[in-house]
Parts: sequence; C-alpha cells; structure tokens
Amino acid sequence: MMIEFTLNGQTVESAAKANTRLLDVLRHEFPLTGVKCGCKEGECGACSVILDGKLVNSCMIALGFVAGGNITTIEGYRETERFAVLDKAYAAVSAVQCGFCIPGMILASECILAKNPNPSEGEIRDGISGNLCRCTGYNAIVEAIHIAAREGKGLW
Amino acid sequence: MVNGYLAETLQEALAIRARENVVPYSGGTDLMIEPDEEATYLFIHKIPELKTINEDPEYLRIGAACTFTELLEDARVPGILKDAVAQIAAPAIRNLGTVGGNICNGSPKADSALILFATDAKLRLASTRGERTIPISEFYLGRKKTALQPDELLIEILMSNTGLSNYYYKKVGARNALAISRVSFAGILQVEGGKIINCMTAFGAISDVIIRHKEIDALLVGKTLDEAKTVKKVYLGAYDQAIAPIKGRISAEYRKTVCMNLLRDFLETNGI
Repeated sequence: MMIEFTLNGQTVESAAKANTRLLDVLRHEFPLTGVKCGCKEGECGACSVILDGKLVNSCMIALGFVAGGNITTIEGYRETERFAVLDKAYAAVSAVQCGFCIPGMILASECILAKNPNPSEGEIRDGISGNLCRCTGYNAIVEAIHIAAREGKGLW
Repeated sequence: MVNGYLAETLQEALAIRARENVVPYSGGTDLMIEPDEEATYLFIHKIPELKTINEDPEYLRIGAACTFTELLEDARVPGILKDAVAQIAAPAIRNLGTVGGNICNGSPKADSALILFATDAKLRLASTRGERTIPISEFYLGRKKTALQPDELLIEILMSNTGLSNYYYKKVGARNALAISRVSFAGILQVEGGKIINCMTAFGAISDVIIRHKEIDALLVGKTLDEAKTVKKVYLGAYDQAIAPIKGRISAEYRKTVCMNLLRDFLETNGI
C-alpha cells in the first residue's frame, strides 16, 4: 500500500494516506524542511517544489497524486550547477533578506529559466507571481534572475 | 494506496466511481484548500482520454483533466478561453488546476467556467450506465451544486470551433496575480455582412451561479450596428432588471454597477 515516487533523484516510498498533503509528507517524513509552509492555500508559494519539470505548490497536492512522479525540492536542487549560478546572482544583488520565501523563489527561478533562458522582465514577474516575498519588494529578485540568465549561458 | 485510487484508464475510473464513494481528484487545487481527512480520492489525472484536446468539424473537445498551463500551450484553444485562464492564480497553480475541476467545483467565480457559459459550451459526462452531453448552463444547479451524479465523471468540454474570435473579457479582482474574481464578464459579438448574427454574454462571481440571459442577448441578433444602437436602451434596461447580485465580501451595489459598466463597455467597444 506504499506510494512510490522519485525525490531528489532517489526512489522513495511513503506509507502515509493518499489524501495527506505532500507538503506535510516532505517536511515531516523525509524531513525536507527547505519546503516551507506559509499558507496552506496555494497563495504564497513558500512550499513550491518541481514535479515532473513543473513548478507546483506542495500544499495543494495530495500524496496519491505524485505516485510515480519525480519531485525536486531545494535540497536536491542545491546540488546542481544551475543552483550555484542562481545562488551567486541572488547574493550579488542582496535578493535574500529573511529567506523564508527563497527556497520556493529559487525553484520558481529555475522554472522560468528552463522555459526561456533569456526571459523578459514580464516573463520573470509572471513566473514569480505566485511566490510572495514580504522583504525585498521583488526588484532585487527580478534583477537576480536577469543576472543568472546572463551568467548561466548554456546551462539552461 | 490508502484513501486513494490511481486510475489508469477511463473504464477503471468509472468502475470505481460506480462502486465506491470517492471524490474525483483532477488537479486538486480546490479540494486541498479544505482537505477532508476521511475522503477517498479517485485520481484521474493519468487517464489519457481526459488529458487530450481533439478537434472535429464542429467542436474543440477539451479533456477535462487538461491543466490551465496545457490549455495556454495549445494553439487550438480559442483566445477568449486563454485570456481568462492566463489570469487564474499563478503558474504553480495553473500547472495543477484543470478545466474540469474548475467546472465541477461548482463555483460561480470559476474563471474558465465563465467563458464556457458565454460560449454555450457543452459537457460530456460518463458513467458505467452510459454517456450524456448537456449544455453547461444545465450543469450548474446552485452554489457548489452541480448535476454531476455520484457515479459520473466529466470527460470532455465541447467548445464551438467557430464564431468566437470577436470577444470581450474582463476580470475585476483586487490585484493582478492570485486574485479571485469580484466581477467577471465575457461577451461575444459576431457580425457578418453588416448584421449581428450572434451575441452571447455571461456574468461571473455575482450570484450563486454564472448568469447567462440568452433571451436578452437575442434582442441584438439580426440587427445592424446602427439598429442595435436603437435597442441599446432596451437591452441595457433588460439586464438592469435581470441582474441582482448577491452581497459577498463586497457589496451587491458595487457588483451591479461594475456589471452594467462592463456590459456598456462591451457594446461601445463594438461600436454600439
């Protein structure tokens, strides 16, 4: 009765009920606390993960939905070269303040660049429109994604 | 899995639906806002028939479990639907949420359902007993109440292939992203050979169900734009009588004023 999926490159299984929030399974069972819980209603994006190549809110997903799926959280993504570029770009313009939104924001940045390696400002702002940040005012984050696009040529 | 079934075929899903008390789970974004710990979900997002978009001479047939992102990425989906879908929530929700779920949730604020009302779309429902195809207006019975039977699934949404290019759509919300509609309006005006051959409008988020008054829109059909101007007062007056918004987080008066402003703007944009 286990639910099997790929998590940060490893095949894992969970005995939790199929109607459990993926967010709770990731944080409590595995325990990947880089996946933040902000609102539990799909508004804030702090719990964002990448499921089969697409950004999703893990609070809005029941565990049974991801059976057979491939999930990347910030813990897995930070091992990549792309992360290193984003990390440096965010640091360069002080795009991180309290940091609570950042795991989700970084994964949203990855999905923006994976879709278009040279995104326009509008595409960047749409791409992070579901990730709320109460510290930065967003401009530094938008700038960081522009920098990552420039510095990470060929990676995306 | 415990408290869930992952259906791989439509036949399998319908058989489970017929025999057990399950909640169909497509994208899950409405269900997971208030998760029911006792619920057993029937996951239908892997069923091929529900994930495809097909075209026949009359209709664009959209699989009910197509996500909003998938609709935006398909060149065949009409602009009026794309405009509405692009304004739903934010990318991470659009990657999960589906058009079928938006309809079956039964909310009058459902942004894709408004467009399907305004374009007189049809819904194809199936169970082990058979299939039926009904107009979307017959599917909504009241607030969060639909005509979906306990053993049925919504399979496909049928949109007309023609006549939808001249459209008007406005969603009035509190902000750009992640906004729930306070008032939404969609209209289609089809003019051929100088005459209005079709007028279809719908109002969302103002009542228990989405509002569509075919009999009032018919006042403009068969008229030239100049003739339409002469019945404009009657047309607007009829809507003024017909629309009685309910109070929600915002007042009924505000909603009514916005509805009439949008309707007037729809006409003026079309030279009426």
